[in-house]
Amino acid sequence: MRRYESVVILHPDMPDEDIRSFTERYSNVIKSNGGEIIKIEDWGFKRLAYLVRKKDRGRYILFDYVGLPALIAELERQLKITEEVMKFISVKLDEDVDLEAFKAAAEEKRAAAKPEPVPVVQVEPEAASAEETAHVEPEAAPAEETAHVEPEAAPAEETAQMEPAAEQEAPESEAIEATATEPEIEEPASAGPEAVEEGEKA
Amino acid sequence: MSKPPRRRPFPRSKVCRFCADSALRMDYKEPNILKAFITERGKIIPRRISGNCAKHQRQLTTAIKRARNIALLPFTVPKR
Repeated sequence: MRRYESVVILHPDMPDEDIRSFTERYSNVIKSNGGEIIKIEDWGFKRLAYLVRKKDRGRYILFDYVGLPALIAELERQLKITEEVMKFISVKLDEDVDLEAFKAAAEEKRAAAKPEPVPVVQVEPEAASAEETAHVEPEAAPAEETAHVEPEAAPAEETAQMEPAAEQEAPESEAIEATATEPEIEEPASAGPEAVEEGEKA
Repeated sequence: MSKPPRRRPFPRSKVCRFCADSALRMDYKEPNILKAFITERGKIIPRRISGNCAKHQRQLTTAIKRARNIALLPFTVPKR
């Protein structure tokens, strides 16, 4: 058995109940093909780095599961023909997983955390981001709240993006200087045209 | 003796940040970590500048490419 994870980007206009039925449907696909689900995470809405189907945001769902290669083929086939799925990626995390051992470990963990017979669907990421509220209040209210907060968090991410980018500019401009003063050293010379081009654009 | 030995013209970080800090793990699902290793235009920063070791740079490259695939990182950032 292998451990995989799939990140699926769903259409942003999909209502919550459709998302629930979507995760359920794909849980069944995994199970009926001899797989086992480890966890399903709903990351909520995220701003996309580029437009996908002319949308600039999407709903991210992560499936983490164990299964055989045939399962991936079937899962991806179904994802491809599902209208609401904008993009997906499946990644192999582990080549050889002993399902029984894994289950036992998960069981222990679950028993240690809290009694929860059903695999957690959807509540998980919210519980992670706002653990306190999730523990104090029943599931529906905090889940909704955090889901609404997430889009507002997007602009903050944007600014975060700006900062490292600005940081990175420094070494590059210095690379340009290097080519100006010392063309005989091979490393900066090869970097020259690209770095200059970058400088011009910026 | 035509070329006098000179110091390296630009400062490069000498240690791989992933080797130095084992808590820092690259993951295609963590765009905020990966963003430190791409330029403003979305290009992957070469090893000679970022100072990453070969092993981690390889892993980083895969992670960035995966992140691009699921729209967590841009392929290119258009000119303003």
